Amino acid sequence: MAAVDVQSVRKIYKRDSQEIVVLDGLSLEVPEGEFVALMGPSGSGKTTLLNLIAGIDRPTSGKVIVSGTDLTTLSEGPLAKWRSRNIGFIFQFYNLIPVLTAVENVELPLLLTKLPRKQRRERAMTALKIVGLADRSHHYPRQLSGGQEQRVAIARAVVADPAVLVADEPTGDLDAKSAEEILNLLQTLNSDFKKTIVMVTHDPRAACRAHIERHLDKGVLMTTVERHDVAAPVGAR
Amino acid sequence: MKYLPYILKHLRKNWIRTASTIAAMALCIFLIASLQTVLAAFYGTIDTAATDRLITRHRISLAEDLPMAYEARIGAIAGVKRTAKTNWFGGVMGSSGGQPDMRNFFANFAVDAEPYLAMYPEYGLTDADKQAFMQDMRGAIIGPALAEKYGWKIGSTFQLESIIPPYRADKPFEFVVRAIYSVDTQKYPNHARDMMLFHWKYLYEKTGQRAGVGTYSLQIANPSQAAAIAKAVDSTFENSDTQTKTETEAQFVASFLALVGDLGLILNAIGMAVAFTILLVTANTMSMAIRERRTEIAVLKTLGYPSALVLALVLGEALVIGLLGSGLGVLMASTLIGNLGSIPGLQGFGSVAMSAGLAAGMFAVGAAMGLISGLAPAVGAYRANITSMLRQV
Ligand SMILES: Nc1ncnc2c1ncn2[C@@H]1O[C@H](COP(=O)(O)OP(=O)(O)OP(=O)(O)O)[C@@H](O)[C@H]1O
Ligand SMILES: [Mg+2]
Repeated sequence: MAAVDVQSVRKIYKRDSQEIVVLDGLSLEVPEGEFVALMGPSGSGKTTLLNLIAGIDRPTSGKVIVSGTDLTTLSEGPLAKWRSRNIGFIFQFYNLIPVLTAVENVELPLLLTKLPRKQRRERAMTALKIVGLADRSHHYPRQLSGGQEQRVAIARAVVADPAVLVADEPTGDLDAKSAEEILNLLQTLNSDFKKTIVMVTHDPRAACRAHIERHLDKGVLMTTVERHDVAAPVGAR
Repeated sequence: MKYLPYILKHLRKNWIRTASTIAAMALCIFLIASLQTVLAAFYGTIDTAATDRLITRHRISLAEDLPMAYEARIGAIAGVKRTAKTNWFGGVMGSSGGQPDMRNFFANFAVDAEPYLAMYPEYGLTDADKQAFMQDMRGAIIGPALAEKYGWKIGSTFQLESIIPPYRADKPFEFVVRAIYSVDTQKYPNHARDMMLFHWKYLYEKTGQRAGVGTYSLQIANPSQAAAIAKAVDSTFENSDTQTKTETEAQFVASFLALVGDLGLILNAIGMAVAFTILLVTANTMSMAIRERRTEIAVLKTLGYPSALVLALVLGEALVIGLLGSGLGVLMASTLIGNLGSIPGLQGFGSVAMSAGLAAGMFAVGAAMGLISGLAPAVGAYRANITSMLRQV
């Protein structure tokens, strides 16, 4: 079964009397455990597609089935609940909450669970360990570098153990070295923790870390590049 | 509860804004609580006024006396149990030179002691006290607050001079403390503790029998007949030179306080205006605080926070401001009111305290103001669409 199954989705924005067709009958399947890179020119609808997969936006028509749930059938409340359990979202600008420490940021998704405080902290710390920032747990976002902030954001995305991660230009705002670290981390999450990952990127070097590369143009998926000889994470070489 | 640290950390982050909003809220609550307490103290006198007592006074003016001859005629009216002459003396200590010293002002009445004390059980006196008082023409009954303030004991003497010209003699009146009344605060929580009573006959004799009767206090057998008896009294004197106006004690106090009533209305209006202004200020603060956090709210929703929870978090922040503000305001008001008695000229308020009910009410007002001010941004956050909020950074 595909982890992500997007079926002939249309997404139309109406601005005044004008209709903007962003996605035009697009279909995409991402098998479980895959790492897909979505590429394409600016305005081609990459973020729109990612938001549909993450269940924070709805298609005008078509179906979006993620981890076996048809998101188009869920109403607001159940959809929010579904997101908290099944999706980890990684933003370009990290979007950590500035007044909370690293560990408190990571803990945020767990506040929605029934876990007692102590266990929430333990899990948040484990997630921070995975991204290599256990020693920065009590730092505030402004005390961290961009790369570190993004790692905390990744810890936040995985702390509730969702099967699917979506990342919108996760390295778009980072220098080459930090970007490398983030990509290594995503690869590890994919290979060792079996996370299905859909990543939007403009950077060909980032895209070549994925197994599959899909190109989006004017709302239609174009070429597919499959790579089964993906380079191992740099750190593991 | 597990979200409280999240709320508090946001408030602390912008602590200057938070503190000034709380201060504004506190000031508003302080103002309202203080005014309400003082007004309640005035009106408390009305609430505890007995229903079996009527007061007959000059129809036109409180400053005019009534003839002594009226007493017998009032006493003869069916349903009237007792009558007692009562004159507000307006005596002031140390007023030599005509300038009364208002810091030493306290209420003093010349009363027809025997019937007066019988109809006013508020003055807690033993039979021995009463007897000692009755036997001394210059005797005085004083309240515990006066005893404390001036260090008066049984046998202490003091002098008073009236500010009312007809009650002034060649020399100040001399008094000897013969009894100190006590107040059963359970039964009569609002009865003044700083009153002084003396013999009406002393006033009459000392003014060369010129003094008339300020008011007649009437005790009636059946409170339900109050209106009928009042009417009967007034119609008795309808065709005389000096017409009367008879009211229940509550009405009398109320008409006496009519001015205070108007004042209360004005003060309440001011209080409301201030509350409304503060509400706008707080609402503005909250809107600003939330507008700055649009992305953050979108992130919470992306993480799966239900809209209702996001709404609650915003309201929670406003509620904390409201509660801290009202807590501070109530504290300030009760501190002021507790010390009112030590301000020159305001000794009369020495025994006034903020009621627990009012304090609780003020907390409720603060909480409500907080919630109302947070409502618009909270609903905005509730409704906000994730993708459009993430788009406009
Ligand atoms: N809420 C909206 N209202 C109107 N048009 C929108 C809205 N959201 C997106 N669009 C339009 O949809 C198109 C696709 O937007 P999208 O953000 O998905 O592109 P993208 O591929 O992610 O671009 P970029 O690489 O610049 O991030 C754009 O033309 C954009 O203007
Ligand atoms: Mg985009």
